[in-house]
Amino acid sequence: MKKRRVKLTGLQTRVLVLVLLVVIFSIFVPYFLGIDNFTNILVNGSVVGIIACAMTLLLVARQIDISVGSSVAFSAAVFAATAEKHSLIFSLVLALLAACFVAVINIVSIVYLRIESIIVTLACLIAFRGLTKVVLDGRSISVQNFDFIGAHRINLFGIVALPIPVLICFFVFLYFALIMKYTKYGHHMYAIGANPESSRLAGIKLELQISKAFLLMALAVFLAMIASVSMIGMAAPTTGDRLEFLALTAVILGGVGLAGGRGNVLGTLVAVLILAVIDNALVLFGVKPFWQEVARGGLLLLAIIFDQFSRTRDKTVRMEV
Amino acid sequence: MSIQTPVLRVEGLSKNYGSVQALEDVSFELHKGEVTALLGDNGAGKSTLVKCVAGSLYPSKGKIFLDGQEVSFHDPGEARLAGIETVYQQLALVETFDITGNLYLGREVTTRGIGRLLGVLDRKAMRGLALDAVKEFGARFPDLSAPVQTMSGGQRQVVAMTRGAFWGKKLLLLDEPTAALGVKESKAVLEVIAKLREQSQLALLIVSHNMEHVWQSCDRMLVLRRGQLVADLRKEEVTKNDIVAHITGANAK
Repeated sequence: MKKRRVKLTGLQTRVLVLVLLVVIFSIFVPYFLGIDNFTNILVNGSVVGIIACAMTLLLVARQIDISVGSSVAFSAAVFAATAEKHSLIFSLVLALLAACFVAVINIVSIVYLRIESIIVTLACLIAFRGLTKVVLDGRSISVQNFDFIGAHRINLFGIVALPIPVLICFFVFLYFALIMKYTKYGHHMYAIGANPESSRLAGIKLELQISKAFLLMALAVFLAMIASVSMIGMAAPTTGDRLEFLALTAVILGGVGLAGGRGNVLGTLVAVLILAVIDNALVLFGVKPFWQEVARGGLLLLAIIFDQFSRTRDKTVRMEV
Repeated sequence: MSIQTPVLRVEGLSKNYGSVQALEDVSFELHKGEVTALLGDNGAGKSTLVKCVAGSLYPSKGKIFLDGQEVSFHDPGEARLAGIETVYQQLALVETFDITGNLYLGREVTTRGIGRLLGVLDRKAMRGLALDAVKEFGARFPDLSAPVQTMSGGQRQVVAMTRGAFWGKKLLLLDEPTAALGVKESKAVLEVIAKLREQSQLALLIVSHNMEHVWQSCDRMLVLRRGQLVADLRKEEVTKNDIVAHITGANAK
C-alpha cells in the first residue's frame, strides 16, 4: 500500500510542476497564454514525445538507444532524396526501411554479439549522422507536397483542432501505454529490467523481447521523421539533432530511471510537456538561445539527481514496511 | 515397499569439466511423496548433479529416466515442460513483482478471444489461482499484493517454493533452501516442505550441506563425496553421526 502511494506521489509531483510552470508562465511571460501558443508547444514537443515513448520501453528493460536522432535524420534524408524523383508512398517505404536498417544493426550487435547498447548506439549515432550528410550531400532537400501533414489540423475531440504531428504523438503514447500496462510483452519488459537473470530462468526470451523493443523504436523513428519533415518541409543535415538527449531527459525526468524495471509512459509524457513548456517560455521571454542549452543540460542533471533521490527514498519506504 | 515406478531414476551419471571429474557414475531413484536430501560438502558435486537433472547442464555420460521414460534435457525449459521444477538458491524472483507476478513469471495467463491474440494479461484469473496456491501450501503472507522486495528472506524462499510446487508435476528440486536463513525462518521453510510432502504428488529433492536442517523433514538421504555417491540410506537406518561420517569421509576405506 505504502509503495503505491509513493508512486502516485511521483506522478502527482510531475503534474504539479507542469501546472505550476504553466500558471507562472501565463502570468509572467507575454503571449504564453493562448490556444495558439499551447498548440505550438504541443507541436514542438511531439517529435520528442514520439521518440520518448519508445525510449521509455527500452529503459524499462535496461536498454538505451542514443542513435535515434541520427536515425531520424537518416530516414528523413532517404525520404527527401527519394521523393525528388519518385512518389511519396515509395519514398516513405524506403524511409521506413532506412529506420529499420539502423535498428537491425543495433539488434544484431546488442542482442546477438552482446555489446552494451550505449556503445553500439553511440557508434550508430556518429555513423548515421555522417551517412545522412552523404545522402543529402551536405545540403537540405525540401519535400514537395508534404507540408500538408504539418499544416493540416484535425478536430478530434471537438474542442481544439490539433495538427497531425501532435495526433501521431498522442496515438504513439496511447499504444505504448496500453502494451506496457496490459500485455504480456510489457510485463516481460518490466521483469527483464528488474531482474534479467530471474527472467531468463523463468523462460522469458530476453533476446526476442529486446529485439522487438528496438523494432518498435524504428517505427517511432519513422513516425518522428514524418512529424519532423512535415513541420519544416525538408530534410536537413541537422534534422533530429540532439533528439536522443531530449528524449532521454524526458524519460529520466518522467521517473523511469536508468536502473530499469519501473516507470511508465504517462510520466514520460508529462516530462515531455514540462520540457516543451520551459523551452517555449524561454523563447517567448527572449532569452538568448545559448541559455536554452544551459537550461536543457541543467534539467537533465536535475532529472538524474531526482532519479537518484527517488530511488533511495523508495528503498527507505520499503524497509519500513 | 511398493513396486511403483520411481519418479526419477538416474543411472551411471557422470560429468566432467575438462579433466575435472565433477560426478562419477552416480545412480539413484526418487519416489513420489518422498523427501530426499542430497547432502555433501562444498565441491562434492551436489550442484552439478542438480543442474544435470534440471536441464541446465548436459551430463557427459549416463541416463535419466522420468516415470520410466528416458529423457534428455538441453535447457531448463525442457525439464520444466517434463514436470521438473527447480527452486534455485538465488530464488530467481523478480523483486519488484508481487506474489502473483512471480508465481506466473514467464507463464502468464492471457484473456480469451481477441485478448489472447494481443497478449492481454488476465490479472484477475492469475491472482485468484495464486491465492489458492498460497493457501494450499500453508504459507502466511500479510499482503499478497506487496512486491517481494518488501518480504523477508524466508518469505521469499516460500514464494519460490510455492511457485515450484504450483507448476511442478513430478519433481521439485530445492537448492539449499535454508542456507541463507536464520533459525526461525528455516523452521518456517521446513514446515512448508512438510506440507508439500503431505499435499502434493511430487518427489522432492533437497540439496543441502547442512544435515541438521534437513534431518527432520527428509525420508531418505543421498550423500555425495568427491563426485561419487557414497551413501543412499533411509533415515531409520542411520544416525546423524553416520551421515556426518559419510559426508566428511571419516569412514572411508
